[in-house]
Amino acid sequence: MGVRELFRRKLENATIIPNVSVNSKLMRRLARREFVRFNPYRFNIYYLGGILLVAITAAVLLFYNNGKSDKLIPVSISDDSRKTASAGYINIPAGKSIIREADKSDKNTTETIKYKRKSEPKVVSWKEPEQYSEPREKNSNVFPVSNSSFSKKGLFTESSADNKKLKGGYRNDEALFEPSATSGCPPLKIHFNNKVKSSYTTSWSFGDGGYSDQKNPDWIFDVEGEYKVVLSMPGSDGLQTSSSAIITVYPKPHARFEIVPEKAVIPDDEIRFINYSTDGMHFVWEFGDGSTSELYEPKHKYSKFSNYNVSLIVSSEYGCKDSLIVLNAFSGSEYFIDFPNAFIPNPEGPSGGFYSSKSDEAIQVFHPGFSGISDYQLKIFSKLGILIFESNDVNIGWDGYFKGQLSNPGVYIWKVRGSFRNGEPFIKMGDVTLLGN
Amino acid sequence: MSDQQIIEGCARHDRKAQQILYDQYSRFLLGICLRYATDKAEAEDILQESFLKIFFNIKNFSGTGSFIGWLRKIAVNTAITHYHKNLKYRYHVEIEDYVSVETGVTSFEEDFFTSDELFRVLNELPAGYRMVFNLYAVEGYKHKEIAEILGIDTNTSKSQYSRAKAVIRDKLEKLGKLKSNYTENE
Repeated sequence: MGVRELFRRKLENATIIPNVSVNSKLMRRLARREFVRFNPYRFNIYYLGGILLVAITAAVLLFYNNGKSDKLIPVSISDDSRKTASAGYINIPAGKSIIREADKSDKNTTETIKYKRKSEPKVVSWKEPEQYSEPREKNSNVFPVSNSSFSKKGLFTESSADNKKLKGGYRNDEALFEPSATSGCPPLKIHFNNKVKSSYTTSWSFGDGGYSDQKNPDWIFDVEGEYKVVLSMPGSDGLQTSSSAIITVYPKPHARFEIVPEKAVIPDDEIRFINYSTDGMHFVWEFGDGSTSELYEPKHKYSKFSNYNVSLIVSSEYGCKDSLIVLNAFSGSEYFIDFPNAFIPNPEGPSGGFYSSKSDEAIQVFHPGFSGISDYQLKIFSKLGILIFESNDVNIGWDGYFKGQLSNPGVYIWKVRGSFRNGEPFIKMGDVTLLGN
Repeated sequence: MSDQQIIEGCARHDRKAQQILYDQYSRFLLGICLRYATDKAEAEDILQESFLKIFFNIKNFSGTGSFIGWLRKIAVNTAITHYHKNLKYRYHVEIEDYVSVETGVTSFEEDFFTSDELFRVLNELPAGYRMVFNLYAVEGYKHKEIAEILGIDTNTSKSQYSRAKAVIRDKLEKLGKLKSNYTENE
């Protein structure tokens, strides 16, 4: 065999076991390369890039929008040269910055603000104080500006004895945060959007005993009332800024009703609905058979038996709603037929089987106790199988007589069939013992 | 998992399929790579490159030819690329320094040498010899094709092959004598 043949045969399909490390090295290299190549099945640099792009775009947009709107920034001002101090609002055009310095060492010292804009320090435009409402309440977190600290002529004029009271800036309610709603029905979920773009710790007090230190909290008010929501933010300058808003939670109506009679037989009975609702102004009843009513206490007669869901929706004057649904409202209705297992006929003579619940016949006539019977057929047999009584009227029972003769004491068989008002059929049989005197 | 499933899995860059492909074919491909390398470490480098190429190009595998043939082709091509890339860094052995030794022995018993010994003979060859010998003798390329692949003259390919063959024969004879002496002494 020549060299060529030898090598070809021996080596063409020879196998060599690679080092174990080769596998892991290869997989690492593969992962790296796959990461920098686009393929739709795997997270790679293009996805990462896409995500970063979206994030950056979002951040830029957010920042841009934020910077664009002229923001009111709370300040207190001390003009060293003129020894005037005041507090209020400055309207700062977007993109301009103000450096504030605060001296926290002494609360009574007026905090100072230096303007970076040396060339035109008066560019800062002050809004007329009349445009700003006073904070609704004074508390430790809110720093109202007394009118005396403003001059009608302008805020940069000489003044004011009150400046020592001013510990920091403040804003009106709209300035620092924005609630998603200021009033509504309980449970009232409100998202508070903090408009200040800073990472400073925030402190929220929701007025109902609840607190939060989230930046943009959600809060649910579930009891009616007026709540004063206060946001406090210690700024980097030491100024305690705060803002408040009143949230009004309307009373919640409660839908309550009762169905009378309690165990109504449908369709025989006329149903009354007794209304126990509170704080309601407007009522919508749905009887479940397609008919509705807006009466306070309606009456209703159903045309046939069914499983009806009765609902009541109560609306208050503020539009708050509550509802109550009674499912299967008439399932408690009683449809039954039951027979006694013994009776004592009147020995004086046949009565014809009529009976009423208040007379002697109640026990002298064999008859069922029942409710809601529609069709009815009762047959009574002797032990020999002879039919001795038949009635198609539930109000006529067996008086114990057969062809004018009092039947012998003993056991008799009865069978009843028929249907209830709700359409449900019944078949029952049993025995009854006729007792002699 | 069938080859077809592995190919489809690898085309989706499914890690599991890639691992199975590696497990099934790495030995075979390393056998090819080792023929073109000076040692196992270099062969393993070529193997890794080959697998990366395989994983990224497997979606182009038409499925018409044999899969193993395709894999082999990629490994050989990778080895050639590797050879080109490292050409300038290699210690060049002048081909003329190898004096061809004509011997009377022209035939070898297939089972007299182990695969490992043959691999070692190849590994010890100068890179240029090894390439031509492998491509011509084992892979079955024609001298014209080899000339194109390696960017050399057809005659160079021919002469390199005959010299490589002579060197190999020389080595095998020496090895054969050693082995026979060893067995005779036994």
